[in-house]
Amino acid sequence: MATLDLNNISKSFGAAKVLHDINLAINDREFVVFVGPSGCGKSTLLRIIAGLEEATGGQIIIDGNDVSRADPVDRGISMVFQSYALYPHLSVFENIAFPLRVQKIADAELKERVGRAAEILQLTDKLQLKPGQLSGGQRQRVAIGRSIVRNPKVFLFDEPLSNLDAALRGDMRVELSQLHSQLNATMVYVTHDQVEAMTMADRIVVLNGGRVEQFGTPMELYHHPATKFVASFIGQPNMNLIPAKVLEAGAGDITVELDGGAKMTLPVESQGGIVGSKVEVGIRPEDVSLADEGLRVGVRVLERLGGASITYGTIGNGTRFCASLPGNAPVQEGKDMTLAVDPAACHVFDANGDVLRRQSAPALVA
Amino acid sequence: MEVLHFGIILVALSSVFGIIYPRPDSRAVKPLQGGKRVAEVSYTGEIATEATRKKVVSESVFAWLLVGPAMLFIAVIVAWPLAETIRLSFMDAGLGGETYVGFANYEELLESRKFHQTIIRTFYWMFLSVALKLILGLIGATLLNAAVPGRALFRVLVMPPWVIPIAIGCIGWLWLYNGYFGVLSGTMMKLGITDGPFEFLAHKQSAFYSAIVTDVWVGVPMVTLFFLAAMQGVSRDLYEAAWVDGAGRWYRFRRITIPQIMPVIVSMSLLSAIFTFNSFEIIWILTEGGPRGATTTLIVDTYKTAIGNYKFGEGSARAVIIVLLLGAFSLAYLFFLNRVNRKYGVK
Repeated sequence: MATLDLNNISKSFGAAKVLHDINLAINDREFVVFVGPSGCGKSTLLRIIAGLEEATGGQIIIDGNDVSRADPVDRGISMVFQSYALYPHLSVFENIAFPLRVQKIADAELKERVGRAAEILQLTDKLQLKPGQLSGGQRQRVAIGRSIVRNPKVFLFDEPLSNLDAALRGDMRVELSQLHSQLNATMVYVTHDQVEAMTMADRIVVLNGGRVEQFGTPMELYHHPATKFVASFIGQPNMNLIPAKVLEAGAGDITVELDGGAKMTLPVESQGGIVGSKVEVGIRPEDVSLADEGLRVGVRVLERLGGASITYGTIGNGTRFCASLPGNAPVQEGKDMTLAVDPAACHVFDANGDVLRRQSAPALVA
Repeated sequence: MEVLHFGIILVALSSVFGIIYPRPDSRAVKPLQGGKRVAEVSYTGEIATEATRKKVVSESVFAWLLVGPAMLFIAVIVAWPLAETIRLSFMDAGLGGETYVGFANYEELLESRKFHQTIIRTFYWMFLSVALKLILGLIGATLLNAAVPGRALFRVLVMPPWVIPIAIGCIGWLWLYNGYFGVLSGTMMKLGITDGPFEFLAHKQSAFYSAIVTDVWVGVPMVTLFFLAAMQGVSRDLYEAAWVDGAGRWYRFRRITIPQIMPVIVSMSLLSAIFTFNSFEIIWILTEGGPRGATTTLIVDTYKTAIGNYKFGEGSARAVIIVLLLGAFSLAYLFFLNRVNRKYGVK
């Protein structure tokens, strides 16, 4: 098992720079998820770690060894591809055995190792079938089997669940988490799905435009997003961002006027010269509740999910506002509602999109 | 797949009978395959519009309407000539008329040592030429598929032997092989390999192998391009996965590329075998089957007998034997293809 360090990794395709000085220190046995929108460079970064692409600059250190110029097989990594990359002409057994055949492992040991991997992944009775005869989830498992049979130091997953349907994806998420604790391995996982990131990761790397926006635990990202980008990317439904103007700045709080005229005093740290500047106030849909007075929201669309009611509406001069309310909340489409907003639950982002540190926030779950 | 096999067999049959009957070219079979495909497409189209369109004719009548023209076409171009050839093979037929002779034509052939030699020569010609085409095609496709600078240019450069009309290409080779004016003979003399001019097409062995070289030259581009297309269809992920697992170039080629393109290799070997078996123009232009029969394959022999000597009956008997041989060959191929599909297929 191993640590993985990325030092100043950069990558350019011709004139286009897709990764800018990425620095990450991934601990032994950690499950790290790279998440970000399409084209943010997350897959490229994974392929650089795998050795399928060469970094333009920087170092990759696995377990203390610089492997930046090493062939993939010498890095001690294994990779699960988005398409699974199973060999269609080979049986499940031969697919899993492929890396061992390359290494010319003796038959007896090979059978034993494939058998063990198949057992972990519940594929024992499928070994003689061809990949074409398996379901999506089973193919996924074969691809994982092929990667665990080599006992790599670091597992790499490139959007492994994106080809599965929603229900199966949920199941496989749980299976992968279990596999992680079972194998006790360092895993790096790429996805564009923030739910996968939140549920599976020990720590999440949020990438945007080839830069690391934030690297932290899921709860850190949720409660203390470092930037507006992270704040709007993490959480479902997305955080509401309301344009506001700073009226006053105190020692531990600022007073803002929200779009539409509502005034709020928010407990965040600020620096001098902020008064009069434009900021954005971030309010998570789940951090509001119905009240007699507060923020007036015109409800346009109401989604009743049973357990929760999601409302989509507008405030002020048409700024969109989404709220997640209890299932039986007495709201109606086309009518106004009034919401209480806890100032302590609000996030404030300056004109650059950087957060103003919150004074108080829920204690982090360890 | 069945349509393809059917098509392949039809190509084989029609190119055999095309020799005896004035042929509108072996290309004539292609629209036929096209016709088949149209029928399939319309069938699915029919399903799609079933709900919205009022049925004027029943589905089965509609199907026959679609297939009808193609079937008529087959009947005129393939079936009728086939029947005529079989009938003629039992006749002593010439310019003067026809008389029924039973199996006499066949008996004569079975007893003829010369004909046995022709059969052996034809198979040797086919196997050697096809083997060379496949090997060179595989090497060429691999090189063209590799990420080398300027490969687009190389891909274009592969085409000429295929694109140039065969007759013109062969006349070029005729000059190359010429003893007094040819580049090959001249180069050999300069290098001191031969003392005097060497006429490639004048000696039995050199004529045979020279014809093989030309046949391979004509046949390689198609094989190469089919292999290249098949190779490009292999998912890049498979190679990357194998690379991550430590598989070297040769190992990836052997365990991924070859199995993945195996169905194409098998199909191409059959097509190429039939084309080569029936390859007529190349031999005819280079040597007319000579010297002393050294390059006379079955198809050349059939032509010489039926058209050259006006022995329509004996020529037809030869054509029928070619059909039987190719038929047997195709059956063996189908059997083999099934096994390949079972081994390398996805199920």
